[in-house]
Amino acid sequence: MVNAEEAAAGAALDRLLDLALVWESPGGLRPLSGVADALRGGESAGVSGLRPMSPEPADPATLAERIEALSPAARALLAHVDDHGGEGTTGSARRTVSAADAATPAEELIAHRLLLPRDGTTVVLPGEVGLALRGGRTTRTPRDEVPEVATTERDVALVERSAAGAAFEAVRRVELVLDHWGLEPPGVLRGGGLAVRDLKATARDLQVTEPEAGLLVELAAIAGLLTEGTDEDGDAVWLPTDAFDAWSAGSVAERWTALVSAWLETTRIASLIGTRDSGGRTWNALAPDLASVLAPEARRLALEELAALPAGAALATGTGVPSVVQRVAWRRPRRPPVHRELVAAAVDEAAALGLTGAGALSEAGRAVLTGDHDAAVAAITPHLPHPVDHVLVQADLTAVAPGPLEADLARTLHLVADVESRGGATVYRFTPGSVRRAFDAGWTAVEVHEFVASVSRTPVPQPLTYLVDDVSRTFGTVRVGQAESFLRADDEGALTELLHHPQAASLGLRRIAPTVLVSTTPVDVLLPRLRDLGAAPVVEAPDGTVRVARRDLLRARRPRAGRSRGAAMARAQAGVAAVVSAIRSGDRATASRPATPTAGTTPSSALAALREAIEAGSTVVIGYVDNHGTRSDRVVDPVRLEGGSLTAHDHRADDLRAFAVHRITSVAPLPARP
Amino acid sequence: MNDGPLIVQSDKTLLLEIDHERAADCRKAIAPFAELERSPEHVHTYRLTPLGLWNARAAGHDAEQVVDALLSYSRYAVPHALLVDVAETMARYGRLRLEKHPVHGLVLSSTDRPVLEEVLRAKKVSGMLGTRLDDDSVAVHPSERGNLKQALLKLGWPAEDFAGYVDGEAHAIDLDEDGWELRAYQREAAESFWHGGSGVVVLPCGAGKTIVGAAAMAQAQATTLILVTNTVSARQWKDELVRRTSLTADEIGEYSGSVKEVRPVTIATYQVLTTRRKGVYTHLELLDARDWGLIVYDEVHLLPAPIFRMTADLQARRRIGLTATLVREDGREGEVFSLIGPKRYDAPWKDIEAQGWIAPADCVEVRVTLPEGQRLAYATADPEERYRLASCTHKKVDVVRQLVDQHSSQPTLVIGQYIDQLDELGEMLDAPVIKGETPVKERQRLFDAFRSGEISLLVVSKVANFSIDLPSAEVAIQVSGSFGSRQEEAQRLGRLLRPKAEGKTAHFYTIVSRDTVDADFAQNRQRFLAEQGYAYRIIDSDDLEADPAS
Repeated sequence: MVNAEEAAAGAALDRLLDLALVWESPGGLRPLSGVADALRGGESAGVSGLRPMSPEPADPATLAERIEALSPAARALLAHVDDHGGEGTTGSARRTVSAADAATPAEELIAHRLLLPRDGTTVVLPGEVGLALRGGRTTRTPRDEVPEVATTERDVALVERSAAGAAFEAVRRVELVLDHWGLEPPGVLRGGGLAVRDLKATARDLQVTEPEAGLLVELAAIAGLLTEGTDEDGDAVWLPTDAFDAWSAGSVAERWTALVSAWLETTRIASLIGTRDSGGRTWNALAPDLASVLAPEARRLALEELAALPAGAALATGTGVPSVVQRVAWRRPRRPPVHRELVAAAVDEAAALGLTGAGALSEAGRAVLTGDHDAAVAAITPHLPHPVDHVLVQADLTAVAPGPLEADLARTLHLVADVESRGGATVYRFTPGSVRRAFDAGWTAVEVHEFVASVSRTPVPQPLTYLVDDVSRTFGTVRVGQAESFLRADDEGALTELLHHPQAASLGLRRIAPTVLVSTTPVDVLLPRLRDLGAAPVVEAPDGTVRVARRDLLRARRPRAGRSRGAAMARAQAGVAAVVSAIRSGDRATASRPATPTAGTTPSSALAALREAIEAGSTVVIGYVDNHGTRSDRVVDPVRLEGGSLTAHDHRADDLRAFAVHRITSVAPLPARP
Repeated sequence: MNDGPLIVQSDKTLLLEIDHERAADCRKAIAPFAELERSPEHVHTYRLTPLGLWNARAAGHDAEQVVDALLSYSRYAVPHALLVDVAETMARYGRLRLEKHPVHGLVLSSTDRPVLEEVLRAKKVSGMLGTRLDDDSVAVHPSERGNLKQALLKLGWPAEDFAGYVDGEAHAIDLDEDGWELRAYQREAAESFWHGGSGVVVLPCGAGKTIVGAAAMAQAQATTLILVTNTVSARQWKDELVRRTSLTADEIGEYSGSVKEVRPVTIATYQVLTTRRKGVYTHLELLDARDWGLIVYDEVHLLPAPIFRMTADLQARRRIGLTATLVREDGREGEVFSLIGPKRYDAPWKDIEAQGWIAPADCVEVRVTLPEGQRLAYATADPEERYRLASCTHKKVDVVRQLVDQHSSQPTLVIGQYIDQLDELGEMLDAPVIKGETPVKERQRLFDAFRSGEISLLVVSKVANFSIDLPSAEVAIQVSGSFGSRQEEAQRLGRLLRPKAEGKTAHFYTIVSRDTVDADFAQNRQRFLAEQGYAYRIIDSDDLEADPAS
């Protein structure tokens, strides 16, 4: 029944028996019940191509006849349903129809019992129909033919070279981006990860595409070279780790091996960066949940396929990657569809990282796959560009390093020249700005000349020499320093005398011009000391005028006289009046209270009463519970009622007060005075 | 690692180490598709651009050849992305073809239907197209041939033009190789142009572009319209054509501000063609005055925008562009490509110099220090006044005099921007001054006198920048320029590069005021010259006498 050679099918069955997934029962071979459940249903139901049989299957011959008799449209529909997993939805087809009055292809199929309605809208293809359609087999295509990987011939030397080239570039770029981020770290998004803007900027700096930049950034994080940290302001940023310093000290081969072996094992999926998740959100690089447990296996499977290719064979352009995907899918048929994408991504990433070159696994790549790091380092080293120790300096003020520079030299050259173009070689340009930068770092013109002459393999062109001298001529013509105060005198002799006075040493005097001294002592300290030394200085205001600095006579403020009697008396009278009015309003409240305590007014009636009082402008007595839970009666003139609060004039306080409506327990009109 | 001379950078520049033993082969291999950007003494920089790659496609190279050249000469591995990009870019050229259909006339057809669909949906293009003929082709209004090509280039799908040319009115023109002969590169240039149909020939100043034009005319054997930059240059073309070809003075007409003759060979200035009265180009009918078989554009890099629009209507006629550089300060390189045609021939300055056809030049920048008073005036001047102040300092006059004395026996040009300064210089040096207001006749007389050696010192303004043939000039002294334009520099240097008797070296002095904007602009110039591979030195005016070369 399986579309395969009998021997292969038999071998597969034996293996299933060995694994105890299938057992021999009197009725024939039966799968373990769990296995059958696991195979059935779900999106991958099409994997086995088998749908459950209908309870009373028609025999194959009748089925074949019925299929023969179908109209072309119905047959096409049937084939379509079979190709798409054996399930279909029909919108309007009637469930019970006879063959005669079937109007649509779907109804025709249902009438012939070639499709069975399952629920309102779904129809299923019974297993036996599927088998009949596929000529009595479970699948249309043979299952024992292993998909071949599409290959083409490639020169082994070319493979090694381009792999090493890619490896070198990957290492260089990781270093570049981390170097840059050490100075200007990008922020961490609130949900973790790197902002799209930062990734774009990185891609531009590195001259790579965004997905590639994403891979490099992920790679740095995977290898433990990049992590979250905080900058000076305490914001979360992505920073190179201390491991980065150790890493960058290694040789290119060692660094590369460290990167790719980390990549091989990681669950992170860099290939998803920039795509959208099921919720429609874009995946950011370094996002925390951008990982899948399937990734390492997919990667290893893909690379193993490449490793299995004979020497000289490489993936064919275009068809190579899909063929690897198919082969891995054949080997692991039960993996979810995303697995295929991971395999394809793994092949692409391996190329970007230099594990493969021109579509074939390099020598070093094989070593990494087996976990032999020393062998990997040894294998890749001869193919990497040798570091060079010289540059070619030209009259257009550029210096070309025809290969990767030794690390020290590169750092020094970075100081005196700007980088213009990177790649296998580096082009530096000397500008007045870059030369000034070297001077700022403490170099002298002579040192710059000597450095350039020592690293240049060609004679140093005259314009460069001139540039350095020209910059050094203007360098430092304006000087800036700090001083607390200055001393100015037209009489140079007087200043000289001060400068050399034995007791002036502590004043920190320094001569910056024949008629100007500066001091590290503030003016208010300096002034009396200078007078002690016998000088007669005057103070200059910021606008240059002379300020006469006579000492202020000290005086205290006259104590304030006590308050006048009149004010005190007015105050006392006002106090008395307030007490009296409070007592009176209390009396009125008491007087208005009925002898028996009123049953608490309902909130709605209280509100109605208050509104009435506001309209009438009358005075009411309210029962109010204050913050401490004490109930008191207040005599008030309600003014406004809004937002759950009553604004009213409180007679006792003789002021506008706000009362929370929910605390008002009762409202009663003020009884007429007895 | 491969020991090649070429380093391919990921930013699409190619570095060629020229001291390498395989450098010459490598240059030959990459020249068809990469633009030479800089050629200083040790490492030349080429750049891969879409236009360059399409030029290569137009010349019959394919992506395979390009990739092969990169791989076989590259010292390090070539970035894979770059190779893919090269292949993709090159594949874009020629997917669309303009053809002549026996029934429908001009037709745009494609071998790749999705591309055609994409193009048809573009708003800019749709108005230029007629009815859809079948799945793969669509009719084109004949008048839109040029505009369509321009629009397609902008869309990134440049069309290859196979629609052919009209022969034009036949007219016998032969080269008259009497006492001179066509140089090998000139012949090659004319032939590559003829095989390509239309296009641009890039040759350095002084390499004899006029002769290439004449050779192209001899190939076409048809009436010819020649467009040049100005009247003086028009006269020179005429003289040269009379001297080098079988044409007589009567067969050559001048169409300029002062004279309007239409003859079998007509030389018109850009200016007269672009003159407008009430918004109408009054001299446009010249383009249809005759059935021209060939149109020659002199100094293509200066072609004004209206001429491009006119050229768009001339797509059925053969066009040859002559220029020293494809670099346009206005970035319209794409229009040159689509309207006049792809680059058909290119030879670097240095190669032709090495063959002895143009004179080697010694470029010196002399720095003068502004006197104290002028420095103060400069420091407090308005920014727009600064350049004038800095470049017109009297100190320069002294230096010019000193230089003129040093080269007293040699024909010398003093070139400047500001008329006051030039007048002053003319007076001091007792030399004639040519400026904008000098009548053409007077200019002609002075140039003739200079050529014949009657006078050995001329003070000229920027009118002399272009196309004036002064082969005898050996020394040029530049006192001011228009803000460091690269093009001006190329032109001025070009004055000097006409071959000299006894292979003498030309001297090119630029006088610059130290610590001013003048010096900043000089940086641009210096970079340009150094990038062109000229020895360049900077000296102080005080050290001038000790300078060994002068």
